[in-house]
Amino acid sequence: MAEKNRGGPQNLRSTVTGRMTTETAIFRIDGVSKSYGGVKALDSVTLEAGVNEYVSLLGPSGSGKTTLLRVIAGFEVPDGGRVVFQGRDITGLPAHERGIGFVFQNFALFPHLTVKKNVAFGMMNGGVTVSASEIDQRCQAMIDMVGLSGLEDRGVEQISGGQRQRVALARTLVMQPKLVLLDEPLGALDANLRGRMRNELRAIRERMGVTFLHVTGSETEALTMGDSVVVLDRGRIIQAGTPGDVYSAPASPAVAHFLNRFNLFDGTLTAGKFTGPFGTVTSPHAVRAPQDAYAIRYDRVNVRPLNATVSGPALKATYIASEYLGSSVMNFFETSDGKVVEVEHHLSLGAPEIYEARQDYMLTWNPEQAIVFGREAN
Amino acid sequence: MTDATVAPKRRLGSTWLILPGVVWMALFMIVPIAMIVYVSFWTQTTFNISSTPTLTSWKQFFASDTYIGALWTTIRIWLIVLTATFAIGYPTALFVGLFVKSKTLSTVLLVICVIPFWTSFLIRVLAWRPMLGKEGVINIILLKLHIISQPIEVLLFTELSVIIGMTQIYCVFMVGPIAFMLGRIDRNIIEAARDLGAGFGRIFWKIIFPLSLPGVVVGAIFVSVMVLGEFATSGALSGRKVNLLGNIIVTQVGSLKWAMASVSGVILTVVMGMVIAAFLRIVDLKQEL
Repeated sequence: MAEKNRGGPQNLRSTVTGRMTTETAIFRIDGVSKSYGGVKALDSVTLEAGVNEYVSLLGPSGSGKTTLLRVIAGFEVPDGGRVVFQGRDITGLPAHERGIGFVFQNFALFPHLTVKKNVAFGMMNGGVTVSASEIDQRCQAMIDMVGLSGLEDRGVEQISGGQRQRVALARTLVMQPKLVLLDEPLGALDANLRGRMRNELRAIRERMGVTFLHVTGSETEALTMGDSVVVLDRGRIIQAGTPGDVYSAPASPAVAHFLNRFNLFDGTLTAGKFTGPFGTVTSPHAVRAPQDAYAIRYDRVNVRPLNATVSGPALKATYIASEYLGSSVMNFFETSDGKVVEVEHHLSLGAPEIYEARQDYMLTWNPEQAIVFGREAN
Repeated sequence: MTDATVAPKRRLGSTWLILPGVVWMALFMIVPIAMIVYVSFWTQTTFNISSTPTLTSWKQFFASDTYIGALWTTIRIWLIVLTATFAIGYPTALFVGLFVKSKTLSTVLLVICVIPFWTSFLIRVLAWRPMLGKEGVINIILLKLHIISQPIEVLLFTELSVIIGMTQIYCVFMVGPIAFMLGRIDRNIIEAARDLGAGFGRIFWKIIFPLSLPGVVVGAIFVSVMVLGEFATSGALSGRKVNLLGNIIVTQVGSLKWAMASVSGVILTVVMGMVIAAFLRIVDLKQEL
């Protein structure tokens, strides 16, 4: 991963699954750039995805992820670069001739049409003429598959949020696209429904055998749903790999930050030793990154009494509060310079310890489990 | 128990809110309309009017070519002006409400549409005379450009000048509501339709037009009500050649023929009622607004 970043974004090959060939790629974008009034939304992004793959695109808001989808769909024309779909350069092709599905965050259903007419819209008004009987049969099959049977003649204003999501999905999938772009498709749903739709999205995709490119700002969604995860920041791809790779080996402090699983400390890396607020720690396996930083996962931090003798990193911190998360407890500590350190305790490991508010504790961890980033790393 | 005693009181309290409106409407709509209907059955003699009920005025209206002719002229001009305001107004609204991306610019454009209203209605009507006249601006320009050798006389004091004047004056009432409805269409819906393979024509007829229909209906009602009741534009621009029901009423009132004026008034009100009812059947405004 460290190797990949060295040449800058132009040379960064983000073959999502690590393949370098393009034969099995369903789509590929090559050095695509897009600016809005001088602000770069996409900075020569190169990305490809294979047939029948679930790719999640993770990035904070403003990272250019929606712009990227809109360029692929044809709603935006890139300033530079190429978009290749099924081996054909479609950079200049209008959106309605691309045959790429798009599921909008707000679903964008046709408010004056029924569920069935929404699903049938593409077949009835698209470039390809489909016979009435086929429209009927495909509509029905799709409505059954997404579990909307019985609601065919309802107006889309008269159904629930989850059902609207299914209509949006059915409307796109009934066109049998080879690639479906999903722009934060679960963003408009409540937490409970979001969990259910996650599983369903995966199941539907597997049944249809299409490639999904799913944009999300939620690290959990990206990690649980994608066969591969692409992390986007300020218009550039900063890491691409399997969820496991990204989770356990973030390529840069920025990635570690988005994953929302790491405590990040500033400091300096010199001669294989990282000096931070917790002292100086030997860090032989540092990852090359534009700035020096030290990352330790929330669940790798141990809490000790203040007077305990610890070898390795030792960080004095005041206990503030804890948060019960169901399967774990998140404890919040504050260091003397005001930085909040999160310590996660999995309940499967036993009952959580009770800490006293405003009391000082010593935080420590096994330095082997930390990820160290630095300019001098190799 | 407390809820049961409080709730009806509050409902009673909020009922009073409608009182000023009811009083206003009763005084200035219900009573005058009832009055007009009543007066239309009065007996009219040359110099006098008495409340003895009679059908004479009604019979006279339907027997007279002048009155029936005025009714048909009113309906014809209404249909032509309605079509013209729609034909000019819809593309304008499409541009202002949908194609202009910036909300600020579209507001500015709508304000520009309203600028003519800064001058009085009569001035706007009369301003057409120096434009359309035999020695008016249009004829002078066309003569200077050698497009015509004789001035076009049909431009002023004809039905055409009335139609031109009314279209210009009422067009904005068509543009406003349509632009408003178009502005409310979620842009993602149009993109979704494109993504599903629909070209612009299909998107327009299947998505944009149906969603803007409530605006068309509201605009059409505005234009219809105003055009059907018109008398000033036709009076000023037709040289008394085009007589609408409104002009008939003005003339009758001027010559103190109250019963005849009332008959025309009742007929005009009924026509307007039918037109509005017909438009409201096209679209369920309750649901759309």
